[in-house]
Amino acid sequence: MKKTIIAIFALAALASCQSLKEEWQPVFTCDSNLPADFVPYTESNLPGFTGTWSTIKELKALYNGKPVEVTGNVWIKGQVISSDKTGNIYRELYIQDETGGIDLKLGKSSLYSEFSLGQWVYVYCDGLTLGAYNGMPQLGLEADKTTTNDYETSYIDVQAIIDQHVFRGEIKDPLKPYVITEDELKAAIKAGFEGELWGKLVTVEGVSYSNEVFALFYPNSNLPHTSANPENRVFLSDKGTWGIDTWACSKNKFIEYLESGVWDSAEVGSGNTRYGSILGKPSDYLQPGKTLDSFGADAYITYKEIMIKYANSNYVSHYFKLGSTTVQVRTSGVARFSDTKLPSKLYNGRANADITGIMTLYNGSAQLSLIDDPSVSVVVY
Amino acid sequence: MTKRLILAFAALIGSVALFAQEPSGGVKGTVIDRNGRQPVEKAHLVLMKGAAAIAEAQSAEDGTFQINGLEDGMYTLVITAPDFLETQVQVTVNDGYVKNMFNLSLSAVQQITEMDDDAFDAFDMDDSGYNDNPTILFGSNDVFNNIAGYNFSSVRFNARGYDSETQDVYLAGVKMNDAITGYSPFSLWSGLNEAMRSKETVNGTEVSDYGFGGYNGLTNIFGTASQVRKGLRGSLLTNSSLYRLRVMASYATGVMDNGWAFATNVSARLGGNDWIDGVYYRSFAYYLAADKVINNAHKLSFVFFATPGQRGAQNASTQEVYDLMGDNMYNSNWGYQNGRVRNARVRKTNEPIAIFKYDFTPSDKFEASFTALYRFGTNGYTALDWYDAQDPRPDYYRNLPSYFMDENPDMNRNNELKYAWANEVWSHSKYYTNLTHVDWDRLYNVNRQQDGRRSKYVQEERHTDQRDLNLALNFKARFSNAFTLTGGASARINRTEYYKTIADMLGGLYFLNIDNFAERDFAATPYKLQNDLDYYMKHGKAEVITKGEKYGYDYYAQVRNFGGWLNGSFTFGNFGLTLGGRINYESFWREGLVRKGLFPGLDQNGNKLVVDGVTIEPTYDPDGSVTTSLGKSQTAKFLTYAGKLGLNYVIGGTMRVYANVGYFTEAPKFNQAFLSPRTRNTMMTNLKPERIFSSDINWQYSGNGINIRATGYYTTINNQSKVMSAYDDVQNAFSNFAISGINERHMGVELGFKFPTYIVPNLSVQGVVALGEYVYTSNPRMTQTLDNSAEVVMSNTYVAYWKNTQLLDGTVVQKHYVPSTPQTAISLGLAYNYNYWFIDGDVEYFGRSYLDMNPLYRTDYAVAGLDYNVTDEEIRYMTTQEQFAPAWLVNLSIGKSWYIQRKYQLGFSLNVKNILNNRNVKTGGYEQTRMVDNTVSKERYYRFDSKYFYMAGTNYMLNLYFRF
Repeated sequence: MKKTIIAIFALAALASCQSLKEEWQPVFTCDSNLPADFVPYTESNLPGFTGTWSTIKELKALYNGKPVEVTGNVWIKGQVISSDKTGNIYRELYIQDETGGIDLKLGKSSLYSEFSLGQWVYVYCDGLTLGAYNGMPQLGLEADKTTTNDYETSYIDVQAIIDQHVFRGEIKDPLKPYVITEDELKAAIKAGFEGELWGKLVTVEGVSYSNEVFALFYPNSNLPHTSANPENRVFLSDKGTWGIDTWACSKNKFIEYLESGVWDSAEVGSGNTRYGSILGKPSDYLQPGKTLDSFGADAYITYKEIMIKYANSNYVSHYFKLGSTTVQVRTSGVARFSDTKLPSKLYNGRANADITGIMTLYNGSAQLSLIDDPSVSVVVY
Repeated sequence: MTKRLILAFAALIGSVALFAQEPSGGVKGTVIDRNGRQPVEKAHLVLMKGAAAIAEAQSAEDGTFQINGLEDGMYTLVITAPDFLETQVQVTVNDGYVKNMFNLSLSAVQQITEMDDDAFDAFDMDDSGYNDNPTILFGSNDVFNNIAGYNFSSVRFNARGYDSETQDVYLAGVKMNDAITGYSPFSLWSGLNEAMRSKETVNGTEVSDYGFGGYNGLTNIFGTASQVRKGLRGSLLTNSSLYRLRVMASYATGVMDNGWAFATNVSARLGGNDWIDGVYYRSFAYYLAADKVINNAHKLSFVFFATPGQRGAQNASTQEVYDLMGDNMYNSNWGYQNGRVRNARVRKTNEPIAIFKYDFTPSDKFEASFTALYRFGTNGYTALDWYDAQDPRPDYYRNLPSYFMDENPDMNRNNELKYAWANEVWSHSKYYTNLTHVDWDRLYNVNRQQDGRRSKYVQEERHTDQRDLNLALNFKARFSNAFTLTGGASARINRTEYYKTIADMLGGLYFLNIDNFAERDFAATPYKLQNDLDYYMKHGKAEVITKGEKYGYDYYAQVRNFGGWLNGSFTFGNFGLTLGGRINYESFWREGLVRKGLFPGLDQNGNKLVVDGVTIEPTYDPDGSVTTSLGKSQTAKFLTYAGKLGLNYVIGGTMRVYANVGYFTEAPKFNQAFLSPRTRNTMMTNLKPERIFSSDINWQYSGNGINIRATGYYTTINNQSKVMSAYDDVQNAFSNFAISGINERHMGVELGFKFPTYIVPNLSVQGVVALGEYVYTSNPRMTQTLDNSAEVVMSNTYVAYWKNTQLLDGTVVQKHYVPSTPQTAISLGLAYNYNYWFIDGDVEYFGRSYLDMNPLYRTDYAVAGLDYNVTDEEIRYMTTQEQFAPAWLVNLSIGKSWYIQRKYQLGFSLNVKNILNNRNVKTGGYEQTRMVDNTVSKERYYRFDSKYFYMAGTNYMLNLYFRF
């Protein structure tokens, strides 16, 4: 009997001692428990780096009109010139070296939290894909093999892949924007993909407002809205500003514009297929069958009402002139400054401006993406 | 004097018996509690000769009993008493003498009560709808509840399919169910097992002496000093499914000669467990109580206790994650920090309770008590919060392989490289712990990298701090042997403050008190982003906050409740009848303590606010009133009532047939009434009381060592409502869903039995069968509003597929069931009790459990999809309710105790659960509210994967205890 009792207590004591050893504790916010500071990568501690750098220009030169998977021990480095803090740039990181800049398609949000302006970034390019989107060079992953994919590359949005290809280095002072001339811009546009300005931080000086905007809306963005679906597309173009005096429009601003009536003459359709104004109904324009039926009960309300019902934030491109060359400033509707009005003097043509941003190429046109609030990026005089 | 009279009476009876020349032998003794050596009153004693019961007796107030008129021979004496294990004793009567057995000790139902942490705490995860409640009210002397309460707890069996908040739990005569949610907060005294051991329970719609109750039973925990078992007790417990170690001690004096009784109970529960990483306990408990018996008529009680501590919580994940990890117990809440496991979700509680109780017993025909109970302190639950930063949850859907590849081309996911890498990470998680668990290092370093070290990530602590004052008056009057009247009145004033603070800055120096959900829609309108607009208006900038400071939201839930009840019990021979009623008045309102930028309302003079030079146009609630966040909401008021009728017929002293019927109206709770209490005062429209009809009929046999209870029940619960909030992918917005008109029907049978094998002495067969059908019987209505703007996007729309999956031609292919409890539960086992050994072995079967449904998936809107065209295939896909696979489990318990020098007692109990190590038993989960809308065809929506909780594999609990 005694032995049984002793054995049981011994077992319990053993279990308890073991438990005390194994018991981990929740961490407390005292210094000794804080994680160590991040150690930035340098050229000397990059995993697998053999000491040879390619320039961004050399990397871009690998593109041959089709997406190219980069192979071999190809490394590039550059300093961060973009920030998604304002939300105008999303899931992309632009880095720049002395030969140019490139759009690195890191498919993560809030990249500015870990990639500060001026920070060195080292990219191991083996296995990444170099492609173009409407002429603009991009470095990402192989394209998705989905039936609807229009892109030559896809986002690098798997963290494990990012961790093996993109290495964060030391944070240095942000790069100063490169002030471009009209001639340089013309040359870049002419050069297309190979233009040296694309993906670079630039300032265009002395631009004037052209009183013209471009915007594309999908009345019901949940329905198909590619170029093959003109019944679900509405363009604002070729008619001045359409009353838009903000850099872009949030959902609420979009509704406000619609309700004000300034877009009432906008037409449904695209290309050569034009149906009529947004005051019409799908049932007015479409034949029974898939296109009309796809609107369901909405087929019998006006497009304007549909647009209000499914309202979203939307891009707007404002047109400026650098000399005689057009530069679009394209702003996202989710940008924090999207509903901010353009400076009135600039908007009314009574002043010029210096505008700083990332220069990109879109179907042969130069587009500037602001990386900071317009109060900083747009200097009016 | 009484004792002498009894003795004299007994002597007289004895003389008469002698005179009558009947057999003179007999047996007598005293029934005592084996632990406290205190007399056990009203123990039921049955004397068996072979299989035949030949005499019965009941122990007196001092535990004594005597059975006379026995012939010489060998007998078996079977002793049963509430809360004690049945005990059998062999008795030999010789030479016509009355055999004195002296003390006959009974053991408390030990193996059940020691398991209560296991039953209560494992599923304490408020985000997932679980709570602290046990699934069945223990402590009753009911064969069904005693077996089911222990054996079925691991699969979250809910008796009759009722939600656990329908159980009424009282402490010292005060109803403790949470004023806001209705949950019975067992965690308030978890770890104080000795202090809270004494309790009394009634089942179903029966009426207790302590309260009217509802339709799912009532338990009253006595909790005062004189109710704690006398003596010093200690125990050491280790288990493998919750925490490593529990140390507990208690001491109670009992009522001393000077009329005082003192009791204390302390415990600590520490450590992690074998099954779920990140779940740990660091919980303590203390209890201090004193009683003063002034005289026979007056007694005062004082109690103060609390269970301060913290424990890490588990999180549900999708089956994809579990399969890739090769572990159904994966917990996404934790990550390594400097080599140590750190859980992001930790419940931190310290809610002391103070009780004053006055008992008044002027005669043996009348007793009354008055209790004042006050609950206060803090109740926090930590979680990660982030501003404009990547989602830090490792199992976020965009981090999983399924996000990059799907067999269905319509899902528009086809990238082999990404799929392969995501798969590599999750299937070799030990090499990627920073990606498959919370990456604390990254969170700290992101914060350190920001300008001014502004924290992008923080650990928040969500508080629900209660100030809960309860007053209760109960009485019991015995007007005659045939009529007893019980009743009471209660009042409750509850003010619960909901707010959150920053628990940890995670390496940053400050955080801004702005709403990042609002920022998505109103980034260009700074005032709308403010969680505290008054601060912004005063200082011209958002509030800067640091560790320990409030942010986000801050409001009071104010609840007032007043009620009274009466119940009459009538006895006519073997027939009994109870008839009772209850009336209750409840009111509640929200009181915002900060003015939120999204819903600023009007200024204190009723004028429009002017912020940043702009006049703010107010928004309006559906009832036309201005939408506000600061100050008091409208008050919801409900007058509810209930009535119960019970019939009871006793047959031959061992058999009872009884039936109960009740009708109840219940006020909705605060948490079911407000659309978005964190942001505004807007209440659901058309709030109505729930209406419940409940009935049961029962047959019970208790005698000859046999206990059986069979029950049939039928209950309808109508007019239920609830509010939930979730991100709606189609609206691209965080939304509030208010659902009303949910009806349920619960019906089924229960059977519990325990009887001797008659083959092996002291070996009994025991079992439970619970067969039910708990179904939804209505299609409720749902209103969806956007959280940022209060815009109504779906108004009072039928949730057309809530009660069933019905095809276009009207064919019903599936009923929809009340979730998260097996509707078939069966247990069969053997129990051996002899010489202070107990061995129990049980085999269990659980079937027909269903997953909790998301109402959005049951709407026409979700079924029709983007093309507005409904097909049978879409109906089946979107609305079918998942049924869990059935499960078999085997459990074993063994225990033994020893007396040392007739003074000290040592013992152990070992419980091993799930011996078959079945790791695939789903115990609950939920459907995500999100839908995949980015399809190729643009014709339909797809569900997000559901999330599940699983039961642990083989686990044990070893308890060693000593008492003296």
